[in-house]
Amino acid sequence: MRSLRARLLVGVISGMALLLVVFSIIIYAVIRRALVNQFDASLAATARILAASVEYEDEKIELELDFQKMPEFQRAERPAYYQLWRDDGTVAARSPSLGTDALLGPEGSLGAAVFQALQTRSGHPGRAVALKFRPKIEGRDANQQPANQQLLTLVVARDASGLHSNLQFLGWLLLIASVGTITLSFLVAALVVRQGLSPLNSLAANIAAITEDNLTARISTEPIPTEMVPIEDQLNDLLSRLEASFNRERHFTADVAHELRTPLAGMRSILEVTLARIRDVNEYQASLSDCLAISRNMQRMVDNLLTLARIDAHQITFRREEIQLAELVNSSWRPFSDRALERGIVFDNRVPAETTCQSDPDSLSMVLSNLLDNAVEYTNEGGQIWTTGDQDQDCVEITVANTGCRLTNEEISQALDCFWRRDSSRSDTGAHCGLGLALVQRLIKALGGCTTVEVQNGGVFAVRLVLPRPEKL
Amino acid sequence: MRLLIIEDYRPLQKSLAKGLREAGFAVDTTGNGDEGLWYAMGNDYDVIILDLMLPGMGGLKILKQLRAKGRQSHVLILTAKDTLEDRITGLDLGADDYLVKPFAFKELLARVRALVRRSYQEKNPLIQIKDLRIDLTTQRVWRAREELHLTQREYTLLEYLAMRAGQTVSRTEIWEHVYEFNSSASSNVVDVYIGYLRRKIERAGKPALIRTVRGRGYILGAQL
Repeated sequence: MRSLRARLLVGVISGMALLLVVFSIIIYAVIRRALVNQFDASLAATARILAASVEYEDEKIELELDFQKMPEFQRAERPAYYQLWRDDGTVAARSPSLGTDALLGPEGSLGAAVFQALQTRSGHPGRAVALKFRPKIEGRDANQQPANQQLLTLVVARDASGLHSNLQFLGWLLLIASVGTITLSFLVAALVVRQGLSPLNSLAANIAAITEDNLTARISTEPIPTEMVPIEDQLNDLLSRLEASFNRERHFTADVAHELRTPLAGMRSILEVTLARIRDVNEYQASLSDCLAISRNMQRMVDNLLTLARIDAHQITFRREEIQLAELVNSSWRPFSDRALERGIVFDNRVPAETTCQSDPDSLSMVLSNLLDNAVEYTNEGGQIWTTGDQDQDCVEITVANTGCRLTNEEISQALDCFWRRDSSRSDTGAHCGLGLALVQRLIKALGGCTTVEVQNGGVFAVRLVLPRPEKL
Repeated sequence: MRLLIIEDYRPLQKSLAKGLREAGFAVDTTGNGDEGLWYAMGNDYDVIILDLMLPGMGGLKILKQLRAKGRQSHVLILTAKDTLEDRITGLDLGADDYLVKPFAFKELLARVRALVRRSYQEKNPLIQIKDLRIDLTTQRVWRAREELHLTQREYTLLEYLAMRAGQTVSRTEIWEHVYEFNSSASSNVVDVYIGYLRRKIERAGKPALIRTVRGRGYILGAQL
């Protein structure tokens, strides 16, 4: 069942109907029993009076009854009936109202009245009582009666249609009352349920009012039922997370735009200034190579961005190859060696030749290039860059370190943010848009490893990469 | 006119300086915020072109400090930050103009010229002193109907004198506004160039335009 309201309504109504039916049945049964008992008591009283009037007179059974005083046996309409049997089953006496029909009653038992429902001659429902007794012997007291005196059975029956119509009336009354109560309670329950669920509607309206441009809004329904407080809190938490993520996205986009604008401005400015007058070939060549350098940097930045986006979207598939790390470090260093030489930076690859790992060579080479590029950029003139490698059973560790770091420990935590820069500015060439470390971190994470950045004593900036060994993957 | 470019993106800094020098400005450059403030406090620049995101001191902080110390140089903010809030913050902190990267170099040049005119309360880009006419936009000069052909340095000198026409301008002031920080020129060079300029603009039989005020400097177009 989809609708909460329907569920509540059906639950409440069927519960109520069940209770009403059970109660009605109990009430009916109790009242019926009381009425029948009352009827039977009066029937039994009549039977006893009849029984008391039976006497043995000279071995003959005499019914000394004044029928004037008991008119019910004489009535034309719905009369009462009696019949008296001897021990041997022969009829001793019977009421005139029986006509020729025999009265079929229950077997009596001595000392107790036995009751039975039956149908009267006229087809009406009736009840009968059977008594077994020893009749009095005329002239003797009751305690002088001989023990072996024969037993008589008296059955008295009476029309019970009054009782039945009363019970029928009661049944109908209970049925109608139950149906009426259920109908009314359906209406009441519908109202109550609707009222009770109204906070859900206002919550829905609240949620509907939140658009993607309006994520600062929070859900607040007043007054809110306590059961819904956790839902509201969870939704608001979700909104906060969404807002933070949207904001990050926005900042990221703004940063990307900003970082692309600056080199674009440089390129445009170079071209416009160069075109402003006729120049000699050397000047044109210088301008063109400047523009080429800028466009290369921009391309690298766009590539990095694309890689980041692909990592985030899980669109990169990694190969798994045995990599000789020292060799990979050397080949990654090659493009930067000229620049390092210009700045008097010494590079030392201390990764042992036997250090190997199973990973994706392209990604790992990209990681090392980014780290070495950063290192060349930020190492002090005449400083040092070195790489170390280590392996044990569980993992392979590679560290790229350089001297000349002016970072503080607080800045370290920001070091892996996109577009973070050492002094929130671009480097001279515009190549270092701060994407490098973020890219390294995400690539290594995608390769199953982790990245830590730390500043050691003496301004040594070290990035440590830990990659799991293949059997641990 | 002397400009300071505080811009840390080297290719842009280089091409801006080149273009502005070719347009007749004396240009100092730096890519560092702290150094930029030091330059700006130590010299009377006509216009400072200021980037906002800089290593060292940020652009807005430089601007605040300049204004707090009472420096009157006109400041043009040149930045990639393009939001309304950024522009408003920049202008409210005392910047005179705001240009977003990337930009057309000609627009930057026009804005810098406008700021220069403004620093000398000169709204008209066509200056006329007696029968000498100077078109500040095209950098052409006429005496009566005859067009004069000046070198870049001579024109820059004349423009500065014309901006301050009728006032005595000292050699130091000329040196500060016409020569770059790194140039080897001394204030003697000013006298040499005044001589060159006189030769080109003065005409025999007409009243002299540039007069020497002994011990103080020069006046362009002063009444006798």
